[in-house]
This record gives sequence, C-alpha cells and structure tokens, in this order.
Amino acid sequence: MADEKLLRVKDLVLHFRTLHGAVQAVDGVNIELDYNRAVVILGESGCGKSSLAKAILRLLPRNVEKYSGEVTLGGQDVMKLDEEDFRLNVRWVGMSMVPQAAMNALNPVLRVGEQVSEPAMIHLGMKKEEATQAALKMFQHVGVPADFLSRYPFELSGGMRQRVAIAMALVTSPNLIILDEPTSALDVLTQANIFNVLKRIKKELGTSFILITHDIATSSELADDVAVMYAGQIVETGDAGRFFTAPLHPYSQKLMASVPRLRGTKELEFIVGQPPSLVNLPVGCRFAERCPQRFEKCTQDPPVIQNEDRTVKCWLYQ
Amino acid sequence: MTMNNLRKTFQEIARYPSAIVGAVVILALVGVAIYTMITIPYQKAIELWRGGEDVWFMNPKNVPPAWFNLFTAKKQPVSFVINDQQGQMTRTVKTHSDGSQSITITYTFNYAYDYFPQDILLYFKATFKAKQPFASLVWITPDGRKINVTNFGVPNQFTYRVSQDSVLQGKLHGIDPQIALFADPKSPDPANPVPLKGTYQMVVSGVTWEANSDLSAEFVLHGQVAGLAGTDNYRRDLMVALLWGTPVALAFGLLAAGGTTLLTMVFSAIGAWYGGWVDGLIQRITEVNMVLPFLPILIMIGTLFSHSIWVILGATVALSIFTAQIKAYRAIFMQVKESTFVEAAKAYGASNWRIISLYLIPRMIPTLIPSLVLSVPSFVFLEASLAVLGLGDPTLPTWGKIIDDAFNQSALYNGWYYWILEPAVLLMITGLAFALLGFALDRIFNPRLREA
Amino acid sequence: MAVAVQPEPGAEKKKSSSTIARVGRYSLTRLVILFITLVIGVYLTILIANMGGYVDVIMKAEIRANTTMSFMSSRAVQQMDPATRSKLLEAMITQEDNRLGLNTPFAIRSFRYLGNALTLNLGSAQQMTSDSGSKQVRLIILERLPATLLLMGTSELFLFFSTLFLALALSRHYASFWDKLVIALSPTSTVPPWFYGIFLILIFAALLHLMPFGGLVDAPAPTNPVDFVLNVLKHMTLPALSLILASFFLTIYSWRTFFLIYSSEDYVEMAKAKGLTSRNIERRYILRPTLPNIVTQFALMLIGVWQGAIITETVFLWPGLGRTLFRAIGFYDTPVIVGTVVIYAYLLAITVFLLDFVYALVDPRVKIGE
Repeated sequence: MADEKLLRVKDLVLHFRTLHGAVQAVDGVNIELDYNRAVVILGESGCGKSSLAKAILRLLPRNVEKYSGEVTLGGQDVMKLDEEDFRLNVRWVGMSMVPQAAMNALNPVLRVGEQVSEPAMIHLGMKKEEATQAALKMFQHVGVPADFLSRYPFELSGGMRQRVAIAMALVTSPNLIILDEPTSALDVLTQANIFNVLKRIKKELGTSFILITHDIATSSELADDVAVMYAGQIVETGDAGRFFTAPLHPYSQKLMASVPRLRGTKELEFIVGQPPSLVNLPVGCRFAERCPQRFEKCTQDPPVIQNEDRTVKCWLYQ
Repeated sequence: MTMNNLRKTFQEIARYPSAIVGAVVILALVGVAIYTMITIPYQKAIELWRGGEDVWFMNPKNVPPAWFNLFTAKKQPVSFVINDQQGQMTRTVKTHSDGSQSITITYTFNYAYDYFPQDILLYFKATFKAKQPFASLVWITPDGRKINVTNFGVPNQFTYRVSQDSVLQGKLHGIDPQIALFADPKSPDPANPVPLKGTYQMVVSGVTWEANSDLSAEFVLHGQVAGLAGTDNYRRDLMVALLWGTPVALAFGLLAAGGTTLLTMVFSAIGAWYGGWVDGLIQRITEVNMVLPFLPILIMIGTLFSHSIWVILGATVALSIFTAQIKAYRAIFMQVKESTFVEAAKAYGASNWRIISLYLIPRMIPTLIPSLVLSVPSFVFLEASLAVLGLGDPTLPTWGKIIDDAFNQSALYNGWYYWILEPAVLLMITGLAFALLGFALDRIFNPRLREA
Repeated sequence: MAVAVQPEPGAEKKKSSSTIARVGRYSLTRLVILFITLVIGVYLTILIANMGGYVDVIMKAEIRANTTMSFMSSRAVQQMDPATRSKLLEAMITQEDNRLGLNTPFAIRSFRYLGNALTLNLGSAQQMTSDSGSKQVRLIILERLPATLLLMGTSELFLFFSTLFLALALSRHYASFWDKLVIALSPTSTVPPWFYGIFLILIFAALLHLMPFGGLVDAPAPTNPVDFVLNVLKHMTLPALSLILASFFLTIYSWRTFFLIYSSEDYVEMAKAKGLTSRNIERRYILRPTLPNIVTQFALMLIGVWQGAIITETVFLWPGLGRTLFRAIGFYDTPVIVGTVVIYAYLLAITVFLLDFVYALVDPRVKIGE
C-alpha cells in the first residue's frame, strides 16, 4: 500500500531503567509527517523530546526497559527490521540526525571531511574521492568553505560545526532529518543563519524535518506543522500557522502566552508548578495539576481528539 | 563532614563485600600489631631476634612449623625443651659429708614420631670456684636399654650436643648419635632404621665438689619441626619476626601513604592558591621528579647513607610527593577557587575556614581517600623490596628481612619453602586487604566508575 | 549552487598544518625541555650522592688510579727509590686534583661531575668488572642494558597489546562474568612483580621442574643460534610472566573503564546513528580518541615497571641493569651504584620523551607551546 505520508509513528514507547525507577520518557507517541514538510516538536526540558528522537532513530542506551510501537518510514515499518537491516537500509539512508551541541557529536580525532563522507561510503557505496566530492557539495549547500574538509572539529567555531553536522546529515540525501535542539548552544546571529540554511535545503532538496526544540520563536520560521509534547506524550498537533494564532490545548495556550511579541505590551504569563517527574507520573491527565481549566473529568487520561485537521489530547474538546 | 554523611558512607561501603573483607583483614592486622607490641615489647623482640646463641639455642635449624604434622601421615618430631618450667624433669640433690653433692636430673619424655630429630642438646650451667662439677649422662630407651652417652667436667656454661659427639658416634657403630639413640633395634631394614616409639629418659648424674657449687641443665630436643612458624638458619623462631613485621609494615605503609598524600595536597594547594611562579615552580619540580628513578635513588641513599627506616621513610615521602597526583588535586583546587559560589561565599563574608571545610574538603575526599588507601600496599611492598635488596633496617625484624635472609640462604633451592612463603603470604594479605578496600572506596566515591 | 559564505562571528582558528610538521615541531620543543629536566635530575642525583662525599671519593680514586698507572709506566720512575717515587706520585696526584678542580668549592665541582655524568663518563668501578674486562662503569652498565631492554621490551609490548585487545572485548560485555572477574582480580596488581616471580619459581622451577630457576641461558649455552634463541626465550618466560602478571588485571580494568566512559560520548552515538558497523565504531570512535590517554597511562606504568624490574631481575638472576645494581650493592661498589642511577635517569627521560612523541602523533589537538 503506497503511503502518502513519509513518517507514521504509532504508540511509540521508550522507558529507561534507573536507580530511582523506570523513566517513561516516551509514552505512547503518535506523529505523522508528510513529504517535504517540517514539524516542530515543542516542549519543556525534561518532557522527553530528545528521547523521542532517539526512539525514532533506534539509538537506545544500555538501560532500556521498554521499547515498542510502530515507526513506518516511507511505507515500511522499520521497527520490525533487525539490527543489521536497520543499519544498512534505514540509518542515514532513510533518516539522519543533527544533534544538539555538535562539538561533542563530532569525533575529535578525525578530520571533518572524513566524518562527513563516511555515510556516503557506507550507504552509497562510494569510494573515498567520490565521497569527498559529495561532502564538498554538501559543504556548499550549508555554507562551509571547501578547505575545511581537512580540519579537525576543535578548529571550527560552534556555528561552523553545526553546519558541518547538517552537511553530514545531508550527504546521503535522506528524506527525513531529525534535528535535536540544533541551535540552542549558539548565538542569535548564528541561529538565524542556520535556519536560513535549513529553509533553503527544504526548498531545494525537498527534505522533511523533525525539529525538536523549546525555542518557539526561531522554530516558527521553519515549521509547517507543530506537535506539542508534555510528560512523554503528544498533547496537540496541527498546522503551524493556526497553532501559533490559536493553540487548543491549555498547555499550548500557556506556552504561547509566555512568548514575547515584537509589538504590544502584553504581560508575559508563566505556568505555575513543575512538569511531573517521568518516574512518578500522575494518574489521569498529566497536565491537570497545573491546568487552569481542569475539571472533574481530568482525573481520567483524555483520548486524542480530532479537531478538523488538528489533534488535541484534552477533555475540553470532546 | 557531618555524622550523617559518615553513616551514609559506611552504609555504602557495606554494600561491597570486597571492602568488608579488606576492612576486616586490616583490622585483624592492626589487632595483631597491637597485640605483638604489648606481649613482645620492642626490647624483648630485639633480644629474641638478635640475641645470639643464648636465645636461639632452643631451636633447631631451618625447620618448618610444627603444624606441618597436621598434613602428613607420618609425624615429624616436634622440638621441645625440658627444664624446671616445662616438661617432665626431676632433680634430686644428695649432699655428702664432705660438702660434695650428688645431683641427679632425670628428663623424661614420650617420643611418638616417625622420624629422627635433628639433635639433642643439654645446656649446662655450673657455678664453682675452682673445681668443675662432673656430669655423666645415661640414655634409657623405652625397651629398657641403657646407653652411656658421655661424661665430662662442666665449665660455667656448656652446651653438649649429641650430634657433635664423635666418641659417642664411634660407640654407636658410626651412626649419627641423634639417630642411633632413637633407632629401633628391631627395624625391618637395618640400613634405614625407624625410631622406637615410647618413653625415653636422659639421666644426668652430676657431682659438685665445692660447698656453693651448683649444677643445672636444660634438655633440648631439636625436632624436624618447631614452633608456629618454623625457624631460620640462625635458629631464630620466625614467629617473632612475623609478628613484629606486622606493626612495622603497617606503620611504614600508613605513615608513608599518609605523609605523601598530605604533603601532595598541601603543595598542590600552595600552587593553586599562589599561582604565578610558585605554581610554575611546583610544576617544574614535578616534571624533574618524574625523571628521577625512584627505587635506584632510594637504593643509593640506602647504601651510601643509612639503612635506618626513618631515613628511608623520609626519602620515600620526599620522592613521592611531586607526582601526577599533584595535578589532579590542583585541578580540583583551581575549580573551587575560581568557582562562582566561592566568590559568592567570600562576598557574604564567609571565613576561609568555612570555605575550605564546606566547599573544598568535600571535593577532595573522593580523590583523596581512595588514593590514600590504595597507596599503602605499594609502600608496604617498597619496604619489603628494600629489605630484599639487603637495604632493610638491620635492627628491625621485618617481613622483607625474612625474605632477604631466605634468599641469601637459597631457601628456594634447598626446599625451605615455608621460610619464604610465610612472610610472602603475610605481605600479600596486607597488600590485598588495602587494595580491596581501596578499590571499593574508589568505586564508592567515584560513581562515574560505578556506572561504567 | 554556490553560496556566499557568511562570515561567522568568532573567526576561524589557525591553519591546520600537516601532521609531520606539527609532530616534528612539538617533538623538538619537548626534547629540549626534557633535556633540561634530565640535566636537573642528574644534578640532583649527584647532589644526593655527594651528600656523603661519595662522588668526591670516586673522583679522587679515579684520579689516583689513572695518575698512578701512567706514572708507574714511565721508565724513569721505575728506577727511582721508593721514598722519592711516592713523594713524586703524591705531588702529581695533588696536581691532577687541582687541575680537575677537586679542591674548588663544591658548587663548581658539582658542575664538573654533572658534565661527566651527562656524557656518561662515570668513572671506574671499585671491584666489579665488565665482561670484556674493563673497569669502566659505563661499559659495565651498558653491557647489561640489552638484557634488560629485551626483558622489559617483550613484557611491555605483550602487556600493551594484550590488555588493549582484552579491554576492548570486555567493554562490549559490561557486567558479564568476565567483567566481574577482572574487577575482582584487579587488586592483584598492587603486588610487585618479583613477588609473582617467587611464586612462579616455586611452582614451575622448584616443584614442577618445568622451567629454569633463572639466568639468561643454560650453562653451557647452545651453540646453534636457533637453539640459543629458544633457550633464551625459555629463560625469559618466567620473569616476563612476573612482569606481565603484576600489571595485567588492573591495566585491563583501567582500559576497559576508559572505553566504557568514552563509548558513552555523543559522537559514538552519532557514529551508530550514521550506520557504521560496530567494529568500525570501536576502532575509529572509541579506540582512536582514547589512544592519547592510554598512551600516557601506559608510559607512566612503564616508568613504574623500570623500577619493579630491578628486584625481578635479581630474583631471576637475569643479567640486566637491575641485577648489576644489586650486585653493586653487595660489593658496595659506589661508582657503579651512582652510575646506574644516572643511566636509569636517562632511560626514564627517554621513556617520557617517547611518550610525548607518540602522544603528539595520536592527538591532533596537541599544539606547540602547551
């Protein structure tokens, strides 16, 4: 069955085992993404966003407690593939990643050119020279000078490293790139530059993005869709434009209310309390404790409700 | 550190069986050390260790410990002494009208062993003005044979050894006396006699000629095993050295480890605090120290100057301070010194002492304590190493010294394995105990290692 | 499509140079610094040695011996009467003493000694002789160096590669039985090598008669070169085994911990995400970055083993540097003792230099002037 959607994530679960108990970082997440669309996953620190990226990419740590669900990429459920299959056919070919703080994500003792051409050699079967040419082409796309190929990561500035990381994610021309807080460690000018690069790539190469961030303002530049994550679950999805003007879920509303606007002297709001611990999750709606609009029904876990082409996980919309 | 912290630490330690084993062994060693120092005070120990023949005569030469017999079907004779304090001895004195005395001393013992002893000695003491007392020795076997052993005039001090008596040997058809006296005449193979088991007696018939003249003797049988630890070639009871080696080893190890760790910390603090050329100087000294060959220089100091353990201890500490550890501590100091919370603390007027105890010391402990405990074994073995090289403190009985003596007498080639094994095993136990505890502490204080 | 490069805030770092130039320049700098360190170290050694005036004694004895020898060989002298001869000899010796500055203040003397020591002009032994019959301390010691290098070299190379391989394997099986075993056995590395030596001799030589008690070769040595080499290897087994055992488990444990820590780095995860094979990841993303650290640790361990080998050689009667030192102690041959310490200082300095060199080779972050 030919799937029009690039990515379908259904009931994705990832729990970790720690000394204090099981951390339910990703607890039944559902996302859909079309070709050539960018979805931004918004949420506070500790809501499980990074774990979501790792869960989709099957980058599991040593202390996995539970890992299940469906991840359908281009019509194929990749969760069912074994390690070697996944490595050869999905990793970097189907989807790649740009991590947070690329300093640590680049091997300090290898030249960046080598690192960028590595995936091309493995997955596209290129020889070294060919792969280096491919890397060079990517460098051009992201705006990194050619002679940086022979440099080591420590010789690059933060912004350059991030660009290199994007080039590395592009070199095999995957349809999907997952970016985990790509600019949170950089200054605003560099941030703007990076997002320009991303926009251009989306336009020229048709890549889809999953952008994980807590920075609503900058991400709004790139986002076509928005998904809001809270305490391991997706509480709202929808088109970006409409989300930013009229968020549905009380949490999303609070989030948007805390973003300063360029014009106007609206007083900024904040949300009382703290997100729940992913080890000790409350029964019922996880946001209920801090929700100004909670009512009796919120003691039960709300279903995901379809609201036109948006979804909300909230009893208010039933 | 608060009591709460202390208690938590102990609970943590309890989670590691290796740490408990190590700690228990260390406590046992400390106990032995204290016990030794009380029951065998230093002077007495020196006396026993260097006393000379007077002290050592009671022991045979180069024999394993008595408990070896537990492991063999045939029993080796155990050494023993019969005098007025131990063993079966009767002494009768008959005074005659002319002032002379007939003194009869009878030593009775049971011999139930399968092998022959090394020797039989009678240690005579006589008091007289001009005329030596006279002694005549008769040996009575279990099967009733009486052998005239010997007779002689007794000077002030005289040790009679059966094995050295060539006249007796002649009388006994050329067989070594200590064998012949015990040989069973009914042995199946006369060429390889077996000892006759039963009650033996040695009768000393002595005569003193003068009024205040006196004669006394001790009977010593040198078996093939002796004591709890055996003896060395000087006939010294190894137990003395084994026991006394404990406090020496512990003291050297702990003092060296403690001194070095403390001074390393002090110097790294000085470097971090003053910075500038002081810091640079300390760095350079550390680099130079790395090039100085540690053991050879200690050897040089030991041979050229003094074998005294204090000199060696001092030199060891001096050479061990400026190591890579200084860099580790310095890094911690720098981190604290330049941290914002220390700045804040100073801003609100916290005293230096408060800053040190609240911020600095908790950060030092995870590196300091494991490294302190873990360095003890290397110092204990260092002391042993120097002793094996012949540079040990000549006055102290230490484990290394035992090994040194053993090597000098080619113990391994001669089959005197116990001589080397006993101190070696003790050294191993001590080293391993501290190592076990140290490694466990390291894993407790550095959770990163624990996770990994 | 070409893109205009936007200048980044925070300009680029310095141009990367080729590996050879970088390592070359770094090595040269380190060599100079190390040499200075060596000079200071040897000077300290001399100071310590001469605290009891022993270097003076050595020097004076040397002068006396040399002067007397050249003196006595002259025909004219041999025809003099004993009284005149001895007076003249003493005068010549005093003259030599003065010429060589032995009557100058110690500070100046010490530099002279330093010069001698650095050029390995270490005087003559009092009682020992070299195999070639010379009494020159330098020859006595240097003759023994190959044996030590053979033993040390073989043991350390084996130790390095075997522990690396095993630690890598172990890091893949975290918390397995082998892992726990290695952790449990790591305290065995606090025991010095000669200790293991004693037990090994006890078991394999004394009790089982499988291995020789010690020495380099059987006496008389086999004439056939192949047999000779085999015989040496046989004799080298137990001492090498002692040296290896004494560091084995702790080293594996240290490397394995390193690998575990380094394998939790982000770039390792990235490598996995990129779809590299496990073997590739292990080699390029775990092993390569750890290498500088491992090399440093290994060199430090090596320095420790140099000293540990002294008694090990003694226990096994291995005719190397350590045993020479031991014999010198027995003979109380001061020149040889002092000379050996100087040679050890040299060996240590060379080891440190090699460490720096390899470090610069493996870690691209190393720059000059650090």
